[in-house]
Amino acid sequence: MSQKFERVQAGEKAFDWLLMLFSIGVLVEAYRIDGIPSLNSPGSFPVGLALVMIASSAVILFSHRHKRRDPRIRDARHEFQVFWKEHFQPHIVVFTLVAVAYLVAIVWFSFYVSTFLFLALLFIYYRQGRVISSLVIAGGSLAVIYVLFTLVFRVYLP
Amino acid sequence: MSDTFSYLLMAWLDPQLLLLTALGTLAGIYVGAIPGLSVTMAASILISFTFSWDINNALALMVGIYVGGVYGGSRTAILLNIPGAPSAVVTAFDGYPLAQRGEAGQAIGLSTVMSVIGGLIGTLVLAGSAPYLADMALEFAPRDYFLIAILGLLLVSTLSGKSLARGIFSVALGAIIGLVGMDMVTAQPRMTLGSMELLGGIHYVVVMIGLFGAAEAFYQLHNLNVVPVKQKVDKIIPPLKMVLKYLPLSVRTSIIGVIVGALPGTGGDIASLFAYDHAKRTVKNPSKPFGEGAYEGLVAPETANNAAVGGAYVPMLTLGMPGDAVTAVIIGALVIHGLNPGPMLMIETPHIFWFTVGNLALANLFLLLFGLTGIKIFTKVVEVPKAVLIPLILVLCVVGTYSINSNMMEVYWMLGFGILGYWLKVFGFQTGPIILGVILGPLLDKTYRQAMSSVGDSGSDFLLALVTNPLSLVLTAVIVLVLLGQTPVKPWLMRRIRRH
Repeated sequence: MSQKFERVQAGEKAFDWLLMLFSIGVLVEAYRIDGIPSLNSPGSFPVGLALVMIASSAVILFSHRHKRRDPRIRDARHEFQVFWKEHFQPHIVVFTLVAVAYLVAIVWFSFYVSTFLFLALLFIYYRQGRVISSLVIAGGSLAVIYVLFTLVFRVYLP
Repeated sequence: MSDTFSYLLMAWLDPQLLLLTALGTLAGIYVGAIPGLSVTMAASILISFTFSWDINNALALMVGIYVGGVYGGSRTAILLNIPGAPSAVVTAFDGYPLAQRGEAGQAIGLSTVMSVIGGLIGTLVLAGSAPYLADMALEFAPRDYFLIAILGLLLVSTLSGKSLARGIFSVALGAIIGLVGMDMVTAQPRMTLGSMELLGGIHYVVVMIGLFGAAEAFYQLHNLNVVPVKQKVDKIIPPLKMVLKYLPLSVRTSIIGVIVGALPGTGGDIASLFAYDHAKRTVKNPSKPFGEGAYEGLVAPETANNAAVGGAYVPMLTLGMPGDAVTAVIIGALVIHGLNPGPMLMIETPHIFWFTVGNLALANLFLLLFGLTGIKIFTKVVEVPKAVLIPLILVLCVVGTYSINSNMMEVYWMLGFGILGYWLKVFGFQTGPIILGVILGPLLDKTYRQAMSSVGDSGSDFLLALVTNPLSLVLTAVIVLVLLGQTPVKPWLMRRIRRH
């Protein structure tokens, strides 16, 4: 009898183990609320939820028994390479780094300057060097943000 | 009675509310249609901007966005084979083949009319059933609320994502996030990691914007350079004969949509799947085989997902439990404005309920108007490149998060949740159940402890109450059945039944 196996993604097993470790961490933190909790104490529900997380993580890990790695992936090292290639593509890494830098820059510079730089840089990068149109779109977007949020919604901007 | 009518017609007669509903519906169509934007994302970001607004204005805008957004997803599903929203995934099965045959205009027109019919039926059911359900809900014990919340979370775990275990993990994770901060009864810090910053808890709007906005922006980076195939669109108003032909199917699938939408935690995406399955099983001679451009395969999901909007409001307004992720956001808006979603809402602020009903009906009429016009502009707007869209989404997330408490720390939290949400999505976890967990976690904790207190903290008495009270017994039985349905017990039982 032939059995159909589900495919496991590169890095999926490692991620599921991380979730199990995280769940154990949640249990430790929940236990710290009031030790072994009574049925109606502040810690009872968090401990219950942490146990649910651990149980579901265990089921997820157990389900890997019924999954198979992509046959094109040769070994753990190759799996890591596939995972890296898929999720750490240059445009994803650039976006993440620029996003973090943007949040830091908001505190140091003004919101408008940092937002303009953030948008202009990413537009130029993603639109493969169309500088003038990227700067115009970034400037236009900033104008819309100003009108919409400062004048219409009247919210505080960073 | 006259008060009820005046509340019902409030949005229709007040120019400002009329305008906000129209703007919301129009914006919703575009938000739902543009791949990468979603109704939940828009509602999450919008909630932070409408903190200081009058509640009616805020609700009018959100209702419009919700109704327009659920429909809008179908446009790109038909035109580009890219569903703009999860509820439009099924629409693409037959919608895109119709567009390939040169019938995109007719398909969009028919889906618009059917969405409006579904939306109006959903609103009627809401108006007819919610007051009675709210009366009944006044009799519910905390134990029953606890069971309903468990059932809702279980349903959303079962029906969304790759597996039940992943769904349950997501809701438990959400509930844990919802419990961070000081305990409401003893003021004891819970899950704060010793941080003073976390004593006030993590604002659920921060989690929502992170998981629905920032995470989606990161996730869409994988499709940055996907170029959709454009379709020619001509006349879109469908002939009356065609509408009448599919009316019986649309009424049937509307009822399916309302029922599925009213189950706490489910929503338009699941409703449209059920409706499509119903159409496949009951329509003997479809216009074309299903999956190859059958109009029946377009009508069923489109009617059901809009009918589910009215359905999703039922548990939200009567029990204070979100019918889906968008109503979870709207619950947040109500709480922020000092209202109390649940059975007391009908007693304390009945105008909010009747205003919502009238507003939903109005938004559906605007949907008909905007759905059947402006198609040429629409086809241009949805082609906005992701290279422009994705950085803008992140800026909106930053502005939306900062405007909650003017706190940069919350903006960092939002980005953290965005990155977490990205990885969870990559590995098959849905972010919707996490949000429902965040909203329902504190409610579960409160009702569980109230239920335990009512039986003198006795575990055996608590269990006994689950099987001796008729309502609790029914709810417990349903929970057990749903759980058993996910185990090998169900196929084993089915085999035994077939053998005998």
